[in-house]
Amino acid sequence: MGSRIRTAAGALAAAAALGLAAACGGGGGEEPAKSAAAASGDPANPVELTFWSWVPNIQKAVDAFNAKHPGIKVKLETITPGPDGGYAKMLAGVKAGNAPDVAQVGYDSLPSFLVNGALEDITQYAEKDAAKFVDWQWQTGVFGGKVYSIPQASGPMAFYYRKDLFDKWGIEAPKTWDDFAAAAKTIREKDDSAYISTFAANQAPWMIALAQQAGQQWFSTEGDAWKVTIDNPDTRRMAGFWQKMLDDKLVKTEADMSNGWYKDLQTGDIAGWIGGSWGDAIIRGNAPKTSGKWAVAPMPQWPGAAKFASASWGGGSASAVLKGTDHPAEATAFAVWLTSDPESVNILLSAGYGWPSIKDTSRIPNLQQDDTVFPFYGGQNIWDVFKEADAAVGLDWRWPPVSDALYSTLTDNAKAAVEGDGTLADAFAKTQTAMVEQLKAKGLNVVATGG
Amino acid sequence: MVDRRRLSPATVVVLALLTAAAVYFLLPVAWVLIAATKSSADLFGTFGLWSPDPQLGANLGRLFGAEDGLFGRWILNSFLYAGVSALIATLLSAGAGYAMAKYPFRGRELLFNLVLAGVLVPATVLALPTYLIFSEVGLTGTFWSVLLPSIVSPFGVYLARIQAHAAIPDALLEAARLDGAGEYRIFFRIAVRVMSPALVTIFLFQFIGVWNNYFLPLVMLSDQRLYPVTLGLAQWNSQTFRDPAFFELTVTGAAVSALLLVLTMASLQRFWRAGLTAGSVKE
Repeated sequence: MGSRIRTAAGALAAAAALGLAAACGGGGGEEPAKSAAAASGDPANPVELTFWSWVPNIQKAVDAFNAKHPGIKVKLETITPGPDGGYAKMLAGVKAGNAPDVAQVGYDSLPSFLVNGALEDITQYAEKDAAKFVDWQWQTGVFGGKVYSIPQASGPMAFYYRKDLFDKWGIEAPKTWDDFAAAAKTIREKDDSAYISTFAANQAPWMIALAQQAGQQWFSTEGDAWKVTIDNPDTRRMAGFWQKMLDDKLVKTEADMSNGWYKDLQTGDIAGWIGGSWGDAIIRGNAPKTSGKWAVAPMPQWPGAAKFASASWGGGSASAVLKGTDHPAEATAFAVWLTSDPESVNILLSAGYGWPSIKDTSRIPNLQQDDTVFPFYGGQNIWDVFKEADAAVGLDWRWPPVSDALYSTLTDNAKAAVEGDGTLADAFAKTQTAMVEQLKAKGLNVVATGG
Repeated sequence: MVDRRRLSPATVVVLALLTAAAVYFLLPVAWVLIAATKSSADLFGTFGLWSPDPQLGANLGRLFGAEDGLFGRWILNSFLYAGVSALIATLLSAGAGYAMAKYPFRGRELLFNLVLAGVLVPATVLALPTYLIFSEVGLTGTFWSVLLPSIVSPFGVYLARIQAHAAIPDALLEAARLDGAGEYRIFFRIAVRVMSPALVTIFLFQFIGVWNNYFLPLVMLSDQRLYPVTLGLAQWNSQTFRDPAFFELTVTGAAVSALLLVLTMASLQRFWRAGLTAGSVKE
């Protein structure tokens, strides 16, 4: 079922792109809207906004907003997730002039929305709220000094592991990647069927997060040109590490979030997972009988790293104000409130939207004590680990306007490498070449790149 | 008592092949029905064709209770989209096919060939142009945006023409005209009845086509209360990586919607009767 939907979504995206090319030339010339003071609206004559999102149960947060803001009435429409067709729909909507005012857009897709001219400049309404948000998350919506979106949530990475099994095998949560390799070896020696984790070649955002943690970023801009540095020393070192793990058969190679992987989580054949903060729900929901046996440790570190480093799985999600809205001030006010008001953040947390984008999480009750989550991890406050991880995500990471192509190319190349066709380092080098071509094909400037 | 007749080798081979084919086609159905009784954890942790800890009742309760009974709405929407558009499409096809078969007029063959060409254009290709046209007139996101494109069926016109040509003898029409019946009366009272086996086929094809159409509603609709069940289940399925409880909902929902479709088809099949005109005229 999944692959058919993907294909359909791909076709939709392709069709939308064609439509865009044909319909080019519209838009632009919007009146710079009213002052920020009007953002609360008039209760007698409320401003109506449409919001597109696919977060389950986000309606409750929208209801809370509407209850507190009589001058603005937000109507939520739940759409298919962006990569499954939602983005194509938004872009088509912008061109057709019936897009929502606010839409959920992944950090990894904001640049392509910008290149497509689908985002509204909301600098004048949003700037004052910048300090509320974690710096790296805020920066995902800032391009050329202008603000285009308000961050919702991220997926900071940490290491989930079966503490009971690790104790049995006499190993501790790995602090460095060398520890990780040593622990993987011990597990293979002590248990015939168990592995420390899988290398998920199917999961591009996961591999990208590993590279992000390793150090040097993949994409940056120089003037109006894109610089691609996927094949860099830090990424090569990370690739070399996992290549050795694969060569020594210390990790499984099955796809994550696959039927076999879910089963292995239940049986303990997979005893660990470097996953995002939202992965907690996946483990709890799919392996309920392992309750109390798990723990979470920070992501293993590279030797010689100057400071603790982590990464975010696929970046995260933002509330973007789409081009063509008649009410950018109110739309911005809604987007800011949705992800910074403690009541709303608390609702969204239990809906599983990810890790909050706000700096001050001390007023979020679910992060202090969570009776459905903590007991599963033997009483550990796992959110402390993710808070530290989110604060340790690099500021300079940039997504390219061709994330779709990046994901599919990287996955194809990495799968080939895992099946023995070349090495992982080759896979990243090939991805680099392909991305330079992709950007050039989009008509964007690419400066000479080098490792 | 043992039957002494020996099965010929050919019969054994054919039986074995047919059995294998039956198993091959029924296995997924069995799987989804069994899976509908499992918890998300059992879905992956236990053998696919056995449910050690069935909880069908709980799953059904959750399915119909989720998000204020959204699933029930989706099922109703699907029946509405598929039923109404199949009915209209059948009527239009019958009229067009009958006219093309029985009334000679200029450009008839050209028109028929155009309709035939329509059979070859996949509906998916038309979805986006249709979206842009509908957004011009402000119909996107409405019930009509899915219904209107579904009420035409080029294949239905083709089939209706073939059937009208083959099953309605010109002598029958002439006899009716001699008896003083008007053209509309002849069409509704005689032609439609004679063509009814083909019309049931057209209805069933169109019904299943619209029921399974994923792409058009995906492009057109954004309010999930208007979704048909296909789109709704796909949406739930895409949320499983945030909340595995959606696995139960998706799988149980798929089983329920498949069963409903099977029941609908089975109850419509009794209209499939052939040989209505046998002996009506002397050839």
